[in-house]
Amino acid sequence: MKRSWTRWARAVTAGTVGLALVAACSGKSGQDSDAADGQVTLKINFWGDFGLQDLKTKYEAANPNVKIQLNSGEYNAQHEDLQKKLVAGSGAADIAAIDEGFMVQFRSQSDKFVNLLDKGAGSYESKYLPWKWKQSLSADGKTQIGLGTDTGGLAMCYRTDLFKAAGLPTERDQVSALWPTWDRFIEVGLQYTGKTNKKFIDAGSNLFNPILGQQPVGFYNEQDQLQMEQGPKVAFDYTIKAIQAGLSANLASFQADWDKGFTSGSFAVLACPAWMLGHIKDTAPGTQGKWDIAAVPGGGGNWGGSFLTIPKQSKHVDEAYKLLEWLVQPEQQIEVFKKVGNLPSQPALYSDPAIADFTNPFFSNAPVGQIFPKMAQGLTPQYLGKKNGPTRVAVENVLTRVQNKTLKPEAAWAEAVKEAEKASTS
Amino acid sequence: MSTTRAAPASSGRRAATGRHGHGTDPDHRRPSWRDRLYRFDMRYMPYVLIAPFFLIFLVFGLFPLVFNGVVALRNYRLDDPTLTGWAGLANFRQLFGDEDFWNALYNTFGIFLLSSVPQLLLALIVASLLNRRLRAQTWWRVGVLLPYVTPIVASTMVFSVFFSRDFGMANWVLGLFGIGGDEPINWRADKLHAWIAIATMVNWKWIGYNALLYLAAMQSIPRDVYEAAAVDGAGPWRQLWRITVPMIQPVIVFTVILSTIGGFQLFIEPMLFDLNSQAATGGPNGEWQTIAQLIYKVGWKDLNLGYAAAMSWALFLIILVVAGINTLLTNRLSGGRSR
Repeated sequence: MKRSWTRWARAVTAGTVGLALVAACSGKSGQDSDAADGQVTLKINFWGDFGLQDLKTKYEAANPNVKIQLNSGEYNAQHEDLQKKLVAGSGAADIAAIDEGFMVQFRSQSDKFVNLLDKGAGSYESKYLPWKWKQSLSADGKTQIGLGTDTGGLAMCYRTDLFKAAGLPTERDQVSALWPTWDRFIEVGLQYTGKTNKKFIDAGSNLFNPILGQQPVGFYNEQDQLQMEQGPKVAFDYTIKAIQAGLSANLASFQADWDKGFTSGSFAVLACPAWMLGHIKDTAPGTQGKWDIAAVPGGGGNWGGSFLTIPKQSKHVDEAYKLLEWLVQPEQQIEVFKKVGNLPSQPALYSDPAIADFTNPFFSNAPVGQIFPKMAQGLTPQYLGKKNGPTRVAVENVLTRVQNKTLKPEAAWAEAVKEAEKASTS
Repeated sequence: MSTTRAAPASSGRRAATGRHGHGTDPDHRRPSWRDRLYRFDMRYMPYVLIAPFFLIFLVFGLFPLVFNGVVALRNYRLDDPTLTGWAGLANFRQLFGDEDFWNALYNTFGIFLLSSVPQLLLALIVASLLNRRLRAQTWWRVGVLLPYVTPIVASTMVFSVFFSRDFGMANWVLGLFGIGGDEPINWRADKLHAWIAIATMVNWKWIGYNALLYLAAMQSIPRDVYEAAAVDGAGPWRQLWRITVPMIQPVIVFTVILSTIGGFQLFIEPMLFDLNSQAATGGPNGEWQTIAQLIYKVGWKDLNLGYAAAMSWALFLIILVVAGINTLLTNRLSGGRSR
């Protein structure tokens, strides 16, 4: 009796001491160093290079009470981190960048973000591309969780040397005239593969997505119901046609074989947003001057682009909004474009000489400052449903299976509808 | 246990009093601070030292386990904050009709068999080779452990390129033997090839580790047993199966359990093997999606945390059952010395 009691007492004592040890180790963490003198530290989370380094110095000089902490991370990791912090209820940055690919996910949690309309951001609506403004707006249109920074636009990057070898025109205006529609694009592809016996495009999914982006209705209507028979069917049929014609090299974007393809000529043309130019240049530096940029068939398109948001957890909402508002002003946006080439999403800036007259020497001096804005402006706003991301992945996977020859093209559409429905209810 | 501990403690106390007693009445025992310290050291210190482990286990092991169980019984969707409340067993019921879950279970089991069985057999052979007299013995022993110390993400990314379709080394090597050629193997197009590729990564990493565990156990086997067997005419192969394996049986059971747990929680390899790893679908048709990967997808891509938690619990139970079966089987196969 007594023995067992002392054993308990011992265990409890030991536990208390241990707890004290653990507590001592974790005692001083996460305390803000904001002193009482009104000094404020604003943390910005983003990925890659947003061109913010110089702007930080500039803003801090003009606002001595503000210190900016730039926190760049990996693309997926930053979004997942933000999601986890929103669930946990604390720890998110004062300003969090969100890519359009993740926007739908966060937009449907709009109660966790500061409504920028309450802060007077409504006056910016007219300055943005209409679809860009809409992308970060909650489904009921009452909450705007972010203001747009850059946008991808969309053009077609093609290899002039490979085009020449196939007997196709190489001059960019002639190439654009070659494929006003996707039907014509596939015909050009057939011509190319017939002559060279090589593949024309990098992947079926990179054909599917731009075509889908041009349709008035995407996967979902505004009531968030899956609409496979309209836009997706059109894009899917074109893609299957191109795959059956043997145009696709079936490579997955940003993977080893795909990167190798830029130099080896596994494909001659790919859909190309503004930020892709840097990737091609870095991946295949030896191909300088062999690339050029033409218009995308069907009129317009966009791939990628970011927003700046303020999570409600921020302790300095007013200061954060002040900084956010400053960052999206024309002067700063042009500064970023000059620095890292991110195309602003405010159409008024496209006539600015800094953008309009910009040419890219790596791509045979293509006037990228003209091409991408034109493509971004040609896009009609499309509603992206809550389950847009998983649905797109599901349909892309079906296309990959057709390209892998593990699924018959005739059976593909039924399978795509089945997989999309599964994704929409997951 | 506590009585044997208490014995040296009390005798120690008496000895200490003797030294510091200064000739006073030995029955009048007023313990000095040194006595108390000594007593504390002997009686409580072991608990204090072991406590951090249990506390950390409590916070990072037991609490998440229990909390996970609570979440599994609730509706918890990040993309639909209005949907809350108790779901009862609905999440678990959904599990039985979910073909993704059964597919993932099938994949996990397939990859587990393709990795664990060859892995442990090869480890056994490697260990028995290392157990002989070799030149540069330490060099070989450290060598087999190198894959184990390689960061798993780094090695998986290299393997991912190794198994790429157009410019991968695996296809190049196979091409030298006339396999593939114009139609190179697409390692990511069907289950068998994907499983082989992933099992290769797992085997590469863990063979050396298991071999060293076996080697350590083998070195405690007395030499004369082998000598006697050799005299009776048993060859090396027979010695391995009839002497070594039964005598290191506890270690074999240990590695079987470890590789069961590891195999059923396989995540990084299938994740990074995928060309579009962000989607976590494990191939265009879930060819190699493991359960751990599916849990991640359901939780953080489909944002359905309640259902993901239910899957985690199911995985926990499956591991318990499979590890139990494996232990029984291993006991039978490796000599049947049941304890």
